[in-house]
Amino acid sequence: MVLVNFKTITVVPAGDALVDNVLSKTQRKTPTVVHKGYAIGRIRDFYMRKVKFSQQMFHDKLTHILNDFPNLDELHPFYADLLNVLYDRDHYKLALGQLATARSLIDGIARDYVRLLKYADSQYRCKCLKRAALGRMCTLISRHKKNLAYLEQVRQHLARLPSIDPATRTLLIAGFPNVGKSSFINKITRADVDVQPYAFTTKSLFVGHCDYKYLRWQVIDTPGILDHELEARNTIEMQSITALAHLRACVLFFIDPSEQCGYSLEKQHSLFKSIMPLFANKPVIVVANKTDLGWESALDDSGRALLESFKADSGGRAVLMKMSTHEEEGVSEVKNSACEKLLELRVESKVRGKKVQKVLNRLHLATPKATSQERTPNIPASVLAKRAVQSQGGDDTRMGGEDGDVEMGEEGSGPGAKKLERDLQEENGGAGVYSMDWRKLYKLRKEEWAYDVMPEIVDGKNISDFLDPEIEAKLRQLELEEDAREAVRDVTGDAEVGGYRFVTQGEKQVVQQIKDRKSLIKQESVREKNAHKHRSALQRNKVLTRRSRLQEHLEGLGLEKEEASDLVDRAASRRGVKRTRSESVAVSVVRSSSRPRSTSRTRSVSIAPNDGFSDPRQKAKAIELARKKLKTGVAKYGRKGDADRSIPSKLPKHLFSGKRGIGKTDRR
Amino acid sequence: MAQGEYIELHRKRYGVRMDTHERQRKRNAREARRRAAQARNLTGIKAKLFNKQRFKEKAAMKKAINQHFENDKQSSRPRDDSVQDGALPAYLLDREQQARSKVLSNTLKQKRKEKGGKWDVPLPKVRAIAEDEMFKVIKTGKRQKKQWKRMVTKVTYVGEAFTRKAPKYERFIRPMGLRFKKAHVTHPELKTTFCLGIIGVKKNPSSAMFTQLGVITRGTIIEVNVSELGLVTNSGKVVWGKYAQVTNNPENDGCINAVLCV
Ligand SMILES: Nc1nc2c(ncn2[C@@H]2O[C@H](COP(=O)(O)OP(=O)(O)OP(=O)(O)O)[C@@H](O)[C@H]2O)c(=O)[nH]1
Ligand SMILES: [Mg+2]
Repeated sequence: MVLVNFKTITVVPAGDALVDNVLSKTQRKTPTVVHKGYAIGRIRDFYMRKVKFSQQMFHDKLTHILNDFPNLDELHPFYADLLNVLYDRDHYKLALGQLATARSLIDGIARDYVRLLKYADSQYRCKCLKRAALGRMCTLISRHKKNLAYLEQVRQHLARLPSIDPATRTLLIAGFPNVGKSSFINKITRADVDVQPYAFTTKSLFVGHCDYKYLRWQVIDTPGILDHELEARNTIEMQSITALAHLRACVLFFIDPSEQCGYSLEKQHSLFKSIMPLFANKPVIVVANKTDLGWESALDDSGRALLESFKADSGGRAVLMKMSTHEEEGVSEVKNSACEKLLELRVESKVRGKKVQKVLNRLHLATPKATSQERTPNIPASVLAKRAVQSQGGDDTRMGGEDGDVEMGEEGSGPGAKKLERDLQEENGGAGVYSMDWRKLYKLRKEEWAYDVMPEIVDGKNISDFLDPEIEAKLRQLELEEDAREAVRDVTGDAEVGGYRFVTQGEKQVVQQIKDRKSLIKQESVREKNAHKHRSALQRNKVLTRRSRLQEHLEGLGLEKEEASDLVDRAASRRGVKRTRSESVAVSVVRSSSRPRSTSRTRSVSIAPNDGFSDPRQKAKAIELARKKLKTGVAKYGRKGDADRSIPSKLPKHLFSGKRGIGKTDRR
Repeated sequence: MAQGEYIELHRKRYGVRMDTHERQRKRNAREARRRAAQARNLTGIKAKLFNKQRFKEKAAMKKAINQHFENDKQSSRPRDDSVQDGALPAYLLDREQQARSKVLSNTLKQKRKEKGGKWDVPLPKVRAIAEDEMFKVIKTGKRQKKQWKRMVTKVTYVGEAFTRKAPKYERFIRPMGLRFKKAHVTHPELKTTFCLGIIGVKKNPSSAMFTQLGVITRGTIIEVNVSELGLVTNSGKVVWGKYAQVTNNPENDGCINAVLCV
């Protein structure tokens, strides 16, 4: 059995609203612009997405509706029948079934049109197909307007149905119209049902709850039923019949022997007989209402016999009770006996069921032995003693303090009260001045240890062991000596006093100069390194060529080797170019002339002399710039530069797309 | 009144506020202004929908008002009970005597219809479709350089027992996704539409080749299976194949609409 909460069904949108909603959702949640250069594949995807999205929206909405509404076959038979009576089972099922069909049809439409869209060769065709697809879906839904409207009505009514629990303890009130059923439920619960002096005041099921034996009882008031064929009964009566047929409850069959209700007692009796089959396996109480009208005395013999026959006709199961809701006579008796009967039946059926054995096996009823021993409260002797002291008048003020924490609850300002830390604080200068003496609380083997001086241990050694008792005196003596020496120096101006030498002003200056020079060299070196990345400013072989050629030329003219190289050097310096380190290296290489000739032959290089600078000023400027850049740039933070290894694309398209030929994995 | 209807119950017990009806009236009076404000402020698709709805309402309202005017006029006009010459009572109206001239003209019309009937189709003129619109070139071969294959880009009908040729010999591909078996055929006299099976393509006006390929475009004459309609020939035989002309662009609409040629 699935117990559903009819109140959680969400609103069923009207057909038009559903269509509008889905279309605007499609518009809002899918891309809306096709640009000029789109490839046809992309355009197709664009429209396919729209079609699929709409289909999904419709599908989801319909699925939601279909899932929300309860399936009649899975409901409790009471609710299934009630829904049948109220909304017509066939109509209900048909409506839901048609929506399910519509859903699958919409899926089909989307599938067909997406397939057609695959062959669309222009944007116009795509758009036409999309339009046709959405149009067909919408048409389909708008054909189901009536079903949706019907389901919405059903939803609204379902949500308002009283929540009847078919499984709980229930009293069911049935009978002819106008016999006082609603009056009774009003008396025993707070249901507040309408009571009027005409028939069919109550037109649907009403639920109230009452208490009996600390249990909650559900009381159901049903519309009145007339005595005729089942087929002739209308919706109002059928609700009563449904409740009678499916709820396992105690039935209270109301009759009105005074016939004030407008129906004769014979009719009421024949109704009782005709609906007898519905009372099978249920306790039945026939309640004769309105005793205040005096029908008991006014009833003739035949009437009395009829009243008696109620019991006989039910096979002796029914009990006849008399009651008056106006005078409140017998109301609670009727309720109590009904509850009692039902409770009995339920317990009986539970005991008869299989489950009870499982529980009984696990149950153990403990029966403790009765003892004659008296159990008095146990108060410690110390407490008793203290109480005795206190009751004596308690002039001993220290008593509480010595006793410890035993009497924490009885603190106060009495003479026997304990002296608190707060009192101590007040006595010794108040808060912020007084600092608490923790040592008195130390728990040591001997109490006098509490105030001993504690040795300070560092690295496993006692500091006091290393303390020189005369250190102060020694320090003072040293200072005195120092003072004396300084005094002598100030007087004589001598650098050397008593074996010590003072650093002179000149020496200090020299040291400073050395330091400055060192830092300059360091800076220069760093700049050089970074500016050239450890490469020479000018290509080595280039330098070689030019110099060696010049030298050869000079030698060819008849100069000595030394002279020639001197001249070359001077020529270089004369040109005013600041000789850099690398150049000098090149020169030394030339001088050693141990390089094989082949190295001196170079390819033509397009680097101009002077490192590509027009004049030394420009070069200096460039060097300065480079230094500045060094401070912030690449080298300082070790960022990625041009020289770093990089792989621009890991999977080059031309090597990884298409099929491989035979036996070649690196070419396609 | 059911148990859950607490609002009604409350109204029944305690009635409504004294000024309820006045407030209701005012709210109704404001409704027109609210709608006007909405009409002014809406933009985009919402505005379109709203205006369409509003236009419909207004048209209906105007119609109703005109109807009332008509009724008023008719009821206020004095009735003249004089009977015209040759007037007939209502129960004899359908037995109108046929004038001789009318019979003649009718027979003439009939004859003309029979003669021209062969060529009388619902869509006498359609746009011709060029081959390069109809076919897409498919490149084949190892180097994708052969271009003799064609794919039909329009809706086609292939017969029941159609099997494709071997790829080497298949010059025209008719894709599965564009093959149709059914058409929505309208009977022009009954003014009803049936979904009928297609038997064959009789004629595609653009080209004989298209006819042969079974391409269905606008204006194409197709043969449909009308056995379900239960039409009978003069000699009493059941007609099962009948021609119909396609009236839409099936490749754009995703379905074939046709009109039966009768
Ligand atoms: N004198 C008298 N009148 C009663 C008593 N109980 C109910 N009535 C009256 O009977 C009339 C009908 O009472 P309801 O409680 O509406 O009867 P009902 O069975 O619910 O009627 P339906 O809802 O129409 O089926 C009312 O006018 C009550 O005042 C009673 O004990 N004594
Ligand atoms: Mg009632």
